[in-house]
Amino acid sequence: MILRFLATVTLIPLLCFASPKFAKALDVNDLIFRGADYHYKGDLDHAIKQFREAVRIEPENEYAHNQLGILYAKKGRFKEAFLEFQKVVEIDHQNTYALLWLGILYLRENDLKRAFDKFQEIVRIDPNNADAYYFLGTIYNFRHNPAKAIEYLKKARDADSDEPDTHYRLARAFHNLDMTSNALLEYQKTLELKPNYTKAINGIGWIYYNQGRIDMAIKEWKKTLAINPRDRDAIFNLTKAYNDLAWKALREKDIKRAVFYWKETLAINPKNKAALYYLKRYKSR
Amino acid sequence: MKNSTDRRLFLNWIGWGILAGSALSFFPSLVWAKTAFDYALEGQGLIASKEYRKACKALQKAIHLDPTSDWAYGLLGRAYYGLGEKAKAVEAFRKAVRLNPADTYSRMMIEIITQKPVPRLEKKERPLAPLEQEAKAEEEAMLNRVRSTGSLTYQVNRIVIDAGHGGFDPGAVGPTGLKEKDVTLDLAWRLQRRLSDIGKIKSFLTRTQDYYIPLSDRTVIANQHQADLFISIHINANNNPKAHGSETYYCSEKASSKEAARVAAFENSVLKYDKPFKKKLGYIDIEEILFRFEQRMYWNESGRFARTFQKRFRTALPLKDRGVHSANFFVLRRAKMPSILLEIGFISNSDDEARLKRGKFREKIVDAVVKGLS
Repeated sequence: MILRFLATVTLIPLLCFASPKFAKALDVNDLIFRGADYHYKGDLDHAIKQFREAVRIEPENEYAHNQLGILYAKKGRFKEAFLEFQKVVEIDHQNTYALLWLGILYLRENDLKRAFDKFQEIVRIDPNNADAYYFLGTIYNFRHNPAKAIEYLKKARDADSDEPDTHYRLARAFHNLDMTSNALLEYQKTLELKPNYTKAINGIGWIYYNQGRIDMAIKEWKKTLAINPRDRDAIFNLTKAYNDLAWKALREKDIKRAVFYWKETLAINPKNKAALYYLKRYKSR
Repeated sequence: MKNSTDRRLFLNWIGWGILAGSALSFFPSLVWAKTAFDYALEGQGLIASKEYRKACKALQKAIHLDPTSDWAYGLLGRAYYGLGEKAKAVEAFRKAVRLNPADTYSRMMIEIITQKPVPRLEKKERPLAPLEQEAKAEEEAMLNRVRSTGSLTYQVNRIVIDAGHGGFDPGAVGPTGLKEKDVTLDLAWRLQRRLSDIGKIKSFLTRTQDYYIPLSDRTVIANQHQADLFISIHINANNNPKAHGSETYYCSEKASSKEAARVAAFENSVLKYDKPFKKKLGYIDIEEILFRFEQRMYWNESGRFARTFQKRFRTALPLKDRGVHSANFFVLRRAKMPSILLEIGFISNSDDEARLKRGKFREKIVDAVVKGLS
């Protein structure tokens, strides 16, 4: 361990001296490294201090400006964050990281058009930018244009397949087009990367439910409740499933079974008005 | 004789010893193999002397021996970066961070390199699993049929039609006994039939018969079918028998009137599940930004649909325009799509009740809704 530590420590100054303008770069590199370290450890104020000093010495340091942008955004100082990212884009229009954050800040401001334009600008500069494709696909998902969402989210997935959110949103787009095999596959990939992604579990539940495999759907939603007992989607989905089963049993004049399912409904959602009413009415029969 | 033999043997041993010693000093790996640490250290030295290609080889050996060495991955990232192979450098740094999230240098390097375009790494093709093969065939068949445009206009291809009330809950009852639940169910069926005839929009009903469904289950049905629009059909009532006209409600952050706020507050008081969302300080949740954006967008779209429907009712139906209202309805909020609630006429008004009994008037309502959707 000690040897490894010494080895790492000796390398940092070597990397710093590798810069041609090392006298100036030494300070800036040191500030940036310390700033990044503070940032990752959650000490945002100290991180801001280091990066501000870095941009004072080197006003065109894109990384330091970008870090300041992120740090300001984390502090809720969104206007300052915006200015930092804009500054980076003025220094270098190809800085896709700053462009991406400008797009995200536009989304935060509910400015769909400008956000969309920023993300499109990024993919024009960098046709492999997974993040920009992700946001473009997600925007199309929100506009309920699944075919276009699939086109972009697939590009995001293929550029960087390790993001569970990309797989989940792609699954949603496929699901919206009733492409259940694809939806199932992407939900499963989401869960491979993040096993407690309850929205993906709930989505799988609906695929099974709409295929008539109600027991399997119930199992999925119960899995969600095992992860988060307060998951409202799973609670409401299960409530609906049990109420449907109860109603089906009642139509088949199997009151005992209907009563059983209403009890199941109330075990999940004790205030369910339908189950409360029908249980009271049929329990004694 | 014996002494000279022993001496020869002894010298022989000494000779072999010297030979082995020199061999070991020149080739230490003959006796003990290098460890991952040795290779990583060698790689580090080579990086310092800018022999990046050799460094890569040494570091790959280190990783081969110890795939959990974040240190070796971090160094490999530096070696690739030195060679100008940014994509490989990012890949190595990412592995280092995955193995050790506290590796500041690797995290920083990923951020520095990925600020600008990084060429993509070639991916290895692998045989498809059965579900993947099925998915591929499904995708080819479906995407050929679906025409996609780049337009950002909100698209409505499937709707859920909710017939208000049902079962033990008759809703409002008119002066001659007409029940809201029966009118709404009939309107829902008529609307579905009409949409089916037109064929462009797929529709689903929340209930098909006279039974009660809690409000929460109704929006769940909309989510179940991944609907693009949720339309809840209701008939209004008032203690004042002269009250008449139609109005449309939708979900919004702020209530449009005190009355709308009161109605929403009453609805919301019933349901309490998740703990209220607490904003984490010093943290930006992108998914939270997207969630809020999505929600606001659906509310805006709901408002747009509500105004369109109300306009259609105003021009197509002999009903007073009572306007569009909004409030933060907890249950409408659960719908993952724009959702509106139509109050078409007052069943408590005898004139409106008489109209609502007529099939022709109901068809006119359906006309107005269909036009609102087009």
